[in-house]
Amino acid sequence: DVFHPWETVTTAAMQKYPNPMNPSVVGVDVLDRHVDPSGKLHSHRLLSTEWGIPSIVKSLIGTCRTKTYVQEHSVVDPVTKTMELKSSNISFTNLVSVDERLVYKPHPHEPDKTVLTQEAIISVKGVSLSSYLEGLMANTISSNANKGREALEWVINRLNAEIEEFAASARGTMRNSMAAAAFVEK
Amino acid sequence: MNSVGEACTELKREYDQCFNRWFAEKFLKGESAGDPCGQLFKRYQLCVQKAIKEKDIPIEGLEFMGPSKGKTE
Repeated sequence: DVFHPWETVTTAAMQKYPNPMNPSVVGVDVLDRHVDPSGKLHSHRLLSTEWGIPSIVKSLIGTCRTKTYVQEHSVVDPVTKTMELKSSNISFTNLVSVDERLVYKPHPHEPDKTVLTQEAIISVKGVSLSSYLEGLMANTISSNANKGREALEWVINRLNAEIEEFAASARGTMRNSMAAAAFVEK
Repeated sequence: MNSVGEACTELKREYDQCFNRWFAEKFLKGESAGDPCGQLFKRYQLCVQKAIKEKDIPIEGLEFMGPSKGKTE
């Protein structure tokens, strides 16, 4: 439960960034917004996030590839008082994708509260996560060991951060325990 | 909060201010007719679309709808 009425929560959700809990969000843009024939407001937004990246890695991959983007589609129905938010991340590496769905509704019995249901689906594309990391390990040993180790450290941190960020905020069901199991092995 | 396109941040802020006010004061109260932010949105959009193309951001399944679609009808 969120201890505020639905209108307050929804207005705040539309202006969620910047906030100290999401310091990596550096940009928010509205790609499209319109009211549909049934009176619901649709917004498509693009969130840009920037992870702390060691400058040695930046010099390898170039600064334009250091951002992760999240695409967000929200629907606000002022009649039924429902706000639904769906987001998924899009990034150049596309290694981990996280789809999130949040629904805000007024509390059925207490009008000053809002109920939030949230689910996150984390999927790892391509090969399973643990074998990807093993493959990367083998490569770095055979090439420049120092550079490789730092890059791997960065990849692990980035993946951890992506997953933890969503795990920390998700109170609903988290599917794909394979991703979680792979990180326990680390 | 910045825009993905550095040049668009000011346009974004003007639009956001207009939108946030309309959203809380009109839309949530059931008066969605007459969106006063259309012009600001158009200018901001043009800037953002250009920035996204330039940065090659892979936006899936989203057609950039014309600014007049569904707004004032």
